[in-house]
Amino acid sequence: MYRYDEFDRDFVNARVEEFRDQVARRMSGELADDAFKPLRLMNGVYLQLHAYMLRVAIPYGTMNSRQVRMLAHIARRYDRGYGHFTTRQNIQFNWPALSDIPDILAELATVEMHAIQTSGNCIRNVTSDQFAGAAIDEVADPRPYAEILRQWSTVHPEFSFLPRKFKIAITGAEHDRAAIQFHDIGLHLKKNDKGELGFGFYIGGGQGRTPFVAKKIHDFVPEADLLAYTTAVLRVYNLYGRRDNKYKARIKILVHETGVEELTRQIDEEFARLKGGELTLPEADIKAIAEYFKAPVFLERPEGWESLARWKKADEGFARWVERNVHPHKNPDYASITISLKPIGGIPGDATDAQMDAVADIAEEYGFDEVRVTHEQNLVLPHVALADLEPVYRALTAAGLATANAGFITDIIACPGLDYCALANARSIPLSQEISTRFGSPERQAEIGDLKIKISGCINACGHHHAGHIGLLGVEKKGTELYQITLGGSADEHSSIGEIIGRGFEPEKVTDAIETLIETYLGLRLKPEETFLEAYRRVGPKPFKDALYGASPAEAA
Amino acid sequence: MTRIWTEKGGFAANDPYVIETEERQAGEGEIALLPLEDFLTKAAESNDANLAVVLKPADDVRRLEPFIGRIALVAVTFPAFNDGRGFSQAVWLREKVGFTGSLRAVGDVLLDLIPHMLRTGFDSLAITNPVAIARLEAGNLPGIAEHYQPSVKPAAAGAAYSWRRRG
Repeated sequence: MYRYDEFDRDFVNARVEEFRDQVARRMSGELADDAFKPLRLMNGVYLQLHAYMLRVAIPYGTMNSRQVRMLAHIARRYDRGYGHFTTRQNIQFNWPALSDIPDILAELATVEMHAIQTSGNCIRNVTSDQFAGAAIDEVADPRPYAEILRQWSTVHPEFSFLPRKFKIAITGAEHDRAAIQFHDIGLHLKKNDKGELGFGFYIGGGQGRTPFVAKKIHDFVPEADLLAYTTAVLRVYNLYGRRDNKYKARIKILVHETGVEELTRQIDEEFARLKGGELTLPEADIKAIAEYFKAPVFLERPEGWESLARWKKADEGFARWVERNVHPHKNPDYASITISLKPIGGIPGDATDAQMDAVADIAEEYGFDEVRVTHEQNLVLPHVALADLEPVYRALTAAGLATANAGFITDIIACPGLDYCALANARSIPLSQEISTRFGSPERQAEIGDLKIKISGCINACGHHHAGHIGLLGVEKKGTELYQITLGGSADEHSSIGEIIGRGFEPEKVTDAIETLIETYLGLRLKPEETFLEAYRRVGPKPFKDALYGASPAEAA
Repeated sequence: MTRIWTEKGGFAANDPYVIETEERQAGEGEIALLPLEDFLTKAAESNDANLAVVLKPADDVRRLEPFIGRIALVAVTFPAFNDGRGFSQAVWLREKVGFTGSLRAVGDVLLDLIPHMLRTGFDSLAITNPVAIARLEAGNLPGIAEHYQPSVKPAAAGAAYSWRRRG
């Protein structure tokens, strides 16, 4: 993974001191609260319902065990003993004191971490495939490019006061695990017919109250032009993106209102001016950054094949966990594993300090010292030998981290909701806990198969409900919480936005409604391998609507 | 009280540029900062040099191009601390339109924006905020010497990679 050099260390230390000065000016009253707001946001400090929240950046979700231990330490010392992993592959601490934050940032800096640009109207943490560098279906590792983008976008003098936040995601595999089509810029790293690397360039995807799947504006931008082309997009957006209404300020609205052809023309005109200039990436620099992400040396461990078969036979729980949470690796003697942060009935994405320490220990002993955060709010050990799966499973089980549900109905994405967030209408977390409990038995989950439920407590869609196979959106109607259900959303290479199925449900009736949807699916699927999403795409909303609201279309309105 | 600061000379005792209002017109030895439309009219109707123009965030800087050699100063307005269009206007003025005269930030010029302004091509600031004035007087500007991207202001190469700058 990337390691700081002296330049990075000088920078991050200077940034901590700059923020310390801003906090001191805020405390003394020299800095007005409204002017302090964008400054604290760009340092990850967010004001929530009950307290300040600190969101720490985990660039493209990659950490080493030392960094994971630091997060555990911060949870213990400055918070209430836990942290919350987010859909941007970051971690949030919900209860720090504002006056402690400069010290927390200084502690983070000692392990090469920071909270820069995890909030605010700037370029946010660049996200990527959690299996990057390990995945069997990858053309090239996307993380070197994510790192180059991270560096380039850090405290950018021109793009720190954009109309709205700006999110970039990058995948290096055909199967998109980074949801690039729901990002302001989505990058699909690929090879052209000459074998050169470049990017399928998407812009204008996003969720929120007006969801859009991104538009592809170029099939192949050469890797050397990554920063020049991205600059052209950002400059056009900074100049012309709407600033009169924060709900219309994302680039997706600019794309929609200007038209993708005209906007692409403007971007290309600016790119023509920048092409070949000082933003052009020299091959040597790309290589030097890529060197940091070189795969570890994988010794041959073929004995794992035989042991794995034996362990699976001996322990049904282990077999289930392997079935769901262990993923193919480039090297056949190895695997990537998902550490579920979705215990049955638990809070999606939360980890205690002890759990984080346990993950750090396991990664150090069995996982080449690497941990990833997924945008689905789980953790990943990208490189584990098959021969080590059993001890890893035992250690995870001891830490309460071996739930065998990756990609199942209980692997729910949920926003923090009304329990933490000042914007929310609804309590996403208790609802996700109820659903998880209802469908939590291993047999039930296995019967239902792959299914993504995503819950947002308000229209801002932090829980990605638009992209859920089943999406739940908390709305407020006449002072009561209601949940609207959407079906058929997806965030992979065949992205789609879920369709609202009908009127909303009271919180206590949502889980029953989901049960009805599940029973309907189980009744109409052609075979057990036909997933919920495939079945929905085949039959459309009608059978589900009829099951929920009765056959009369008038009643369903 | 608004004060004018330049990168070269610090706080200026006498600044000739005036944003005209009903009460305040440019007098002898002073230069009016004209809004874009007024400027374009005046520039087209005369051969005057030493003109000055004040831009609003939505103004298209490319419209200045035909007259660029006759402009002594362009003022770019920051209507609020969170409106960053002026940074891109400045970059375009310097890099696309080729403006080499004085570029001034006016409006909500707050201390923490100043490092960004200086990097995107501004060399002059109109400042009202007392904290910003005090810190500039003390020569105590915020900002970080390490930069992860080139910008308008020339800077020494940073360590290791082509996109880094220092100073």
